[in-house]
Amino acid sequence: MSREGFTGFTRGEARVSAARGVYFDRFGPFGKIARLPWSVILLIVGTGLVGTAMLFSVGWDPVSAAPSPDEANLWRDHITRLGVGFVLMIGLALLPLSVWSRFAFPAYATVIVLLVLVDFFGVMGGGAARWLKLGPIQIQPSEPAKLAVTMAVASFYQRMMPTNGQSPPLYVHGGALLLVLIPAALVFKQPNLSTALALTASGAMIIFFAGISMRYVLAAIAIGLLSVPAIYTFVLEPYQRERVDTLIAGITGESTNGLGESYQIEQAKIAIGAGGFSGRGYLQGIQSQQEYVPEQHTDFILTIIAEEFGFIGALALLSVFAFLFAWSFMVASKNRSWFGRLATVGATSTIAFFAIFNSGMVLGLLPVLGMPLPLISYGGTALITVMACFGLILSAHLHRDEKLSTRGLF
Amino acid sequence: MARRNSPEADFDRRLLLAAGAGTAVFATLVGRLSQLQLIESERYTKLAAENHVRLVLAPPERGQILDRFARPLASQRQAGRVSVIPERLKDAEATLRQIAEHIDLPETRVKRVLEEIAASRIRRSGFVPVTVVQELSYEEFARLRVRAVEMEGVDVQMASTRSYPRGRDFAHILGYVARASTDDLTRLAEGRAPEDLETFEELFRHPDMRVGRQGMERFAEDWLRGRPGRRRVVTNAHGRPMEELEQDPANAAVPGKDLYITIDSELQRVAIDRFEGESGAAVVLDIASGDVLAMVSTPAFDPNAFVNGISGKDYAELRDNSMSPLYPRAHGGVYPPGSTFKMVVATAALEAGVIDTKTRFTCHGRMWFGGRNWHCHKKGGHGSVDLHNGIKLSCDVYFYQVARLAGVDKIAEVARKFGFGEDWVLGMTGARGGLVPDRAWKRKARNEEWFEGETLNFGIGQGQLGVTPVQLALMTARIAAEGKHFKPRLIGLGPDVSEDGELDQPLDAEIMKLMKSGMFGVTSEPGGTAYRSGDLGLGGPRLAGKTGTAQVRNISAAERVTGVRTGDAIARELRDHALFVAYAPTDNPRYAISVVVEHGEGGSRTAAPVARDILAAAIRMDSGRTPAYSKRAATKTPDTDGKPEGDPV
Repeated sequence: MSREGFTGFTRGEARVSAARGVYFDRFGPFGKIARLPWSVILLIVGTGLVGTAMLFSVGWDPVSAAPSPDEANLWRDHITRLGVGFVLMIGLALLPLSVWSRFAFPAYATVIVLLVLVDFFGVMGGGAARWLKLGPIQIQPSEPAKLAVTMAVASFYQRMMPTNGQSPPLYVHGGALLLVLIPAALVFKQPNLSTALALTASGAMIIFFAGISMRYVLAAIAIGLLSVPAIYTFVLEPYQRERVDTLIAGITGESTNGLGESYQIEQAKIAIGAGGFSGRGYLQGIQSQQEYVPEQHTDFILTIIAEEFGFIGALALLSVFAFLFAWSFMVASKNRSWFGRLATVGATSTIAFFAIFNSGMVLGLLPVLGMPLPLISYGGTALITVMACFGLILSAHLHRDEKLSTRGLF
Repeated sequence: MARRNSPEADFDRRLLLAAGAGTAVFATLVGRLSQLQLIESERYTKLAAENHVRLVLAPPERGQILDRFARPLASQRQAGRVSVIPERLKDAEATLRQIAEHIDLPETRVKRVLEEIAASRIRRSGFVPVTVVQELSYEEFARLRVRAVEMEGVDVQMASTRSYPRGRDFAHILGYVARASTDDLTRLAEGRAPEDLETFEELFRHPDMRVGRQGMERFAEDWLRGRPGRRRVVTNAHGRPMEELEQDPANAAVPGKDLYITIDSELQRVAIDRFEGESGAAVVLDIASGDVLAMVSTPAFDPNAFVNGISGKDYAELRDNSMSPLYPRAHGGVYPPGSTFKMVVATAALEAGVIDTKTRFTCHGRMWFGGRNWHCHKKGGHGSVDLHNGIKLSCDVYFYQVARLAGVDKIAEVARKFGFGEDWVLGMTGARGGLVPDRAWKRKARNEEWFEGETLNFGIGQGQLGVTPVQLALMTARIAAEGKHFKPRLIGLGPDVSEDGELDQPLDAEIMKLMKSGMFGVTSEPGGTAYRSGDLGLGGPRLAGKTGTAQVRNISAAERVTGVRTGDAIARELRDHALFVAYAPTDNPRYAISVVVEHGEGGSRTAAPVARDILAAAIRMDSGRTPAYSKRAATKTPDTDGKPEGDPV
């Protein structure tokens, strides 16, 4: 399809509109709502509902054959947040990219301020200061940071992209890197290693897609690989090193039947393996129903899916994620503005980073880091952030032909 | 389309590259999934199944404690119990209020249960029932059982609980059981292999499990406890049982062994009643077998109150009671023996050869020695006194002289032969040995030389000397048995009491006969200090004994002039203790007894009648007859499996 030959509608939409005899665009947001890719949205919400069902299963008490009162709030909270997230996602999807881009830097600045505030006034939780208490609500600024950084870097490239059809000069990439590393460093300091990694990874992806020379990409990869031993020895805390050791022992098949650091991953592997090809059936997972897997409602929720729905269920879930990411790449590819393209890949990378890291960790291929499974794990802030990221991608889909200004940084 | 080298085209190419990398990641994840779920699935399925089968501890039934004639003294009784399961309660407090509508549930208990529920939530053990009331009355049980169906998380059922059907009668002998405290665990864990310890802790955390805290329950803990069994159940990660599996009979719990004690609980009852609320102690021994037939310490407490945890208030009341009901007087109460000790002094002097039966001393009512007057209890004096009259009249001056001649170390040596100075554990806790002083002791304890004056005091059973009622009864039995080997015991069938020795040091039978003759004089010859108490009222058999008065205070010289005050003239706790030791029948001694009536003032007046009535009861009821646990009796009384029998009197 030619970008020059834009008529205001894609062919499919034109067909729908024509069939109904209505030009939706004239009816403002309602037209936009009709043009949203509802099959994809259904897939997103459906995945979220799978999470709700699995949280119901986590809270199920097989003895009394009823939800256990202590854990009945798990699925209720999740579906409520899913509802809030859905409204937010649709609302954000309707925002034109110009609005996203305009608010990118204010959002970025706000997030930086909040991150600094967390360092001073943060509420401790799990050994790290991550939460900020604002009256009755608690927020975790590192979560909105993921979206804000993506927006800011994309917006930065949107304005700095040369108009002569060349790739941006190196100093532009350097500026982008700075935009990424400042919040990443603040988050790392909390300490929240997983979010810092996610921020850096999605930032790096944006810089990569913005056209930095492959030489630097390869150099960065090489430096990364070479510095692994140094990081292991000097940067990692002893408990993190232990996790890496456990992981290597697990992959190489060394016995780690201790109850220590490897207990969680051992139990996760048993749960997954016990699921077999077709699973034990909903609410029937013996390993899961008897609470052998710690953190099963948050980071290790994939284990209950794998146990109760087996290889088929787990494969289906991974495939849905793979499809959503592939679709998002298509959205990026079709977008007319650099902001749209780069924000889409940034948001996609953020979600994909968590999906890949989470399943890799649960499957015993990556060290245990606090990484929720997008849309499925219990946890409000992460769910809302993921839904907002999808909102951004949907907006990029809806406003693929929107022309954005390339002038002025602010 | 955009130019081939434009950043836009480059963007699309890089998208493809990233998609390729993503595909590789996806393939890796799916590969790992198929490894775990397809290739190794069988192994993990097996691991999962093994994960869940756990051997849950089944507590053993605690052995009973029975008396000489197999009457239950401590047994396991089924009682209604109401408990709540924390994880199934929506509002714990509301549920408890609901329970309180149907049964008597004090506010303090509600608070305590709420604390326990909160604690169990923290431990993630909300499936472990928390006991609300351990023992419901039958009416409460019936009422609550019907209502509990509508109350979520409330469980009403019969459970086994320790009970002491004779209540206070055996409080100091049996002690009581209670939930194991940290101290109990530390005590019980001592000397055990580390691999047993886990089981041990698990066992004692079980809500049905109790540990002997005092008395024989504590001493014979290992005998009574039995061995826990194991039930195979499927449990979740927190140990909560989910499903019962088939059981292996070899893993069943082994109940604890029954323990027989030598006491005749009917005689015990008679003895306690005879004290009529006075505080004191009495010990009855069977002379032929050494069996303790009665062992009384009054007042006592109800051990049933301790089984399910006594409230702080109730405990404080027991502890601070001026009559000290927690104090085990019979084996843990140390008293000056007073004149009951005179047989020991006389034996020492006779053994040493410093006196014989003809040796006489003149009593003027007092004796000047070491710069002060030593008084006899008879103001005017007894005149010329020999051994027989010395004991019969309990002449203090005579024994001052005898003691001086025998010397402190000889008296102490003989006292030890009679069993003084030694803890007689007999299978209980709280036994004390008292004190037999001598020169070496004084040098060591006080870093002082022994004063001759102290020997005089020693001679009449006063001063540093301290004895227990058990020791006094042993002494009497040894005299009555004319010095024969004697082994006291309280446990008829149960664990060995290796702590206790035997009374087998030689005592001259001829000397013992002289002592018996003196004691006969006390109760059966005119002028004897307990002349009126000699007749047992059974139309024949008489008892022989010796009175004693243990001074609680010093009597000043001024008071002696104006007359020693007694009775209502002084406060109860300053009045003298009354003591009496005796055996009966005189011609063929079967029972020996010691009685202490605290602040009873005068052995002949208060203690002797008590001793007489108890001895009469022992003879009348034939308390010393063959016990149920002996091999000869076993065929006659097969019914020893703990069913309460009728009162055989």
